[in-house]
Amino acid sequence: MKTRALFLLFVSTIFMMSCERNTETEGPKLSDIYGDFNVLEDFAASTSTVDFSKGENVVFTARFNRPTEWEIRISHPSGSEKVLSGRSREIDATTGVWDGTTNVFPSFSNGQCTAELFIAADSSRSSLNVEITGTRQPDGTVVADFDNGVDPEWNMFVQSGANMSFVTRDTGIIPQGSAYFDMGGEVNWDWLIGLIDFEADSYGPDGFGLGQNPENLYFNLVVNRPVDYNNGIILFQFKEDENGDGTFTEASEDLYAVEIRDLDPGWRVWSIKYSDLVNLVNGTPAEPNGNKQHNPDKIHTISCLFLANPSSGYSQVFVDYVAFTKGEPLKL
Amino acid sequence: MQRRTLIKIKKQVVAASLCLLSITASAQDRKVWASGAARSIFQQNSIQTANDTVTPRQVVSGHALVDLAVNAKPNDQTFLHGMIRIRNDFGGFWGGGVTFDLRQLYVKGLIKNGIRYQLGDMNYKLTEYTFFSNDEELSGHQVEALNIYRDITRYDLFFNNDNTWRQQGAAVDFGFQFDSKILDELTFDLFSSRVAANFGAANDRVFLGGSSALKSKKGIWVGANYIDLMDLNGTSQSNVRFHNPVVTGSMGFLDTTRTIHVGINWESGVSRMYIINDPNASEMSDFFVDGKIQLYHPKSKIRGHFDYRNVGPQFRSVGAQSKRINYQGINQLFGRYQSAQIVRPITQMDLLQDVSLFQIDLTPQLDDYNPRYDNISPYGKATPNRKGWTVGVEGTAAKQLIEYSLNLDALSEVVGQGTEDLRQFRRLDAGVLVNLDTVLPKFNKPLEVSIGYQNASTTRTTEVSEGNIDLTTGILDLGLKVGVARDVNLMVNLRSINASGNELYNVRDNYSEVFDYTPLVTNLKEQLVLLAFQYKVNEKNSLSAIWQQLAWSDNKTTNQDFDMNQFAVVYKSIF
Repeated sequence: MKTRALFLLFVSTIFMMSCERNTETEGPKLSDIYGDFNVLEDFAASTSTVDFSKGENVVFTARFNRPTEWEIRISHPSGSEKVLSGRSREIDATTGVWDGTTNVFPSFSNGQCTAELFIAADSSRSSLNVEITGTRQPDGTVVADFDNGVDPEWNMFVQSGANMSFVTRDTGIIPQGSAYFDMGGEVNWDWLIGLIDFEADSYGPDGFGLGQNPENLYFNLVVNRPVDYNNGIILFQFKEDENGDGTFTEASEDLYAVEIRDLDPGWRVWSIKYSDLVNLVNGTPAEPNGNKQHNPDKIHTISCLFLANPSSGYSQVFVDYVAFTKGEPLKL
Repeated sequence: MQRRTLIKIKKQVVAASLCLLSITASAQDRKVWASGAARSIFQQNSIQTANDTVTPRQVVSGHALVDLAVNAKPNDQTFLHGMIRIRNDFGGFWGGGVTFDLRQLYVKGLIKNGIRYQLGDMNYKLTEYTFFSNDEELSGHQVEALNIYRDITRYDLFFNNDNTWRQQGAAVDFGFQFDSKILDELTFDLFSSRVAANFGAANDRVFLGGSSALKSKKGIWVGANYIDLMDLNGTSQSNVRFHNPVVTGSMGFLDTTRTIHVGINWESGVSRMYIINDPNASEMSDFFVDGKIQLYHPKSKIRGHFDYRNVGPQFRSVGAQSKRINYQGINQLFGRYQSAQIVRPITQMDLLQDVSLFQIDLTPQLDDYNPRYDNISPYGKATPNRKGWTVGVEGTAAKQLIEYSLNLDALSEVVGQGTEDLRQFRRLDAGVLVNLDTVLPKFNKPLEVSIGYQNASTTRTTEVSEGNIDLTTGILDLGLKVGVARDVNLMVNLRSINASGNELYNVRDNYSEVFDYTPLVTNLKEQLVLLAFQYKVNEKNSLSAIWQQLAWSDNKTTNQDFDMNQFAVVYKSIF
């Protein structure tokens, strides 16, 4: 046994001697991260006036002696806010770009904004002003923005429950345009509260005109879950007419879907890549029934269903600017 | 339209069932038979959080499911297995709730009495550094009451107690026996599985590998293992390709001729991780060494072991380091809470029963983990940047009255993170099971008391005070199993987790390299009390009524304290 043990010891020793390892420390040095903090370059903006409608943007810059957590809060008197934040040594064109988009709606309008930099390391604040001379124009292929009410081409079904409200609204905070859509009600015998079908035919001879690449296409909407109601579920279904016969056949063609639920309160942009959509059967992912490939160019109908557990009482959600974008999620 | 869909699904289910029954009816002659499992759970859950006016207080849920398998043996060398799952969620989503899925499908067989193969779904593992599904956190010392739910979760996700990963692909095993006084046999195990199918959007990813072992008649063996998770060139327009080859060599011997049996095992190997045509990715390569001495005294039935391991900081092995739990996930049950509807922390109760928190895919990056539960070996023995030893002993005493185990880990980092100073890791793990029924023969029913305790600490002292680390976790498991009537057992369990102190949790980029640290300060207190009555008809059929209560608090975080209660009735059957 001794011989065998010595043999093993010999082999393991040879192996360890033949291997070399990089003995440098892992990760950034603690002395860099937790050393004394200094601002090396003051907070600045690339321009004092910006016209977002022309594609211009603002680049904020600052430089520090070590990585630190920072936050730039841009605010407008109307209540619009945009927050840029990060943890880095430097704020630059990769981390400090404002393209006119909004975190807290309504969207930014023309006028003077204040940009304030807060640095957690020394609790310091510094601010500067930027004048907006032109607002950002949302891009994308619009499915519904509700600015002109409910299009008669859309097929809408609303249950006859209590306190039903499938209507457009133009009061309060409007994230985009002049109106948004309010879906609410209580239906104590069914999950479905109401639905809207957007059929491709009603958008022209090319339908939604989304192209063939599902990897480059994002489905977006602006959505607001009221503070008091977290029981609503928005189910979007994308029904593809793969054989081009002008109808969607559930048994033999793909249906992709997504449930939007458990949102934080307040308006926000919600996006998903088209290729990330799955087929849902009763809320559970399942194999699609058709060619099992995402074909955005073959979407026949987009259905927006508002659902809630029948025993959960009244539910409500607001939506606006339902649109597809290419290359990246909607920026609003 | 929805009703039509539901009727259609039900028709399909009925048709499939009839088909299955007809097959089974003629099973004897055609060597076709049915098997499967059934389960039904009905549970009521509640959550209590102070000043929460938004989260629903209670959730009632449940489901019934049947896994129906058709097994066929068309000839002596071939075995076919297909299993469908029919599941009905009580009061299902949107008035429906029936799902009908294919759960598993495989064929296996023997070629010329020498080569075994399997195609389709398969469970596979190699060594703890190459291909191994490490147990999820908090699964040590687990008493029987907790296993009622854990076993359901593991069954659903194909996590077996033998630490295999579920894969889809093909495997071949074959070997040669020698007519020699020295050599015994030479075996080969080869497999390949498809990990990710991207349908042209990105390259398909496959996982392949195998092992070979040469055994002597004197108990000595040498072996080699190889795995590689790789993207297949040409399966998409992308030319970016991930690779993670790992090669290990192993050897050992077992001597059972002496009073104390001695076994020595040794494994070491190298890994590389690189991405072709990705300019931002740097290649990582490293090695590990693992040696183990095992002793066994047959007369007293006492086992002991001494392990040493040294795993480099850049050692990457996707098959061994992928975690079962996805700590980025959100609990299905009360996923958000408090009036602000923030994400509820994952608790020990969720880890037992929430299948949505688990992942069955191999992940190329190092997964997140919870240092409060396990900061020492979150990726099992293959945890990178660890060196040190483990010593343990286990056995029985007083004529099977007492079963005990004791393990001690003393590890440190191989290289420091952000400093030359190394983290030191210590873990003491002890468990005792007292089989009181062995000394009370007239009781004639189970009577067991179990105690498990684990204390784990991480410390580091550096020149930079923010880099000092002191994190301690204590886990206490108390269990009692009493037979109150024939086949009816009362089971009680208390599991208390206390984690306090601080750690600098490393933040890794998409290439698994540390680029920042997140301070973690905790004072976690989790207490789970569980009471279960179980009617066990036999090993394959049981009906349980379970009540459990979890109390969670961590006054060092912004999360509010909460309590959760659950009452459940669980029926399980295997046929």
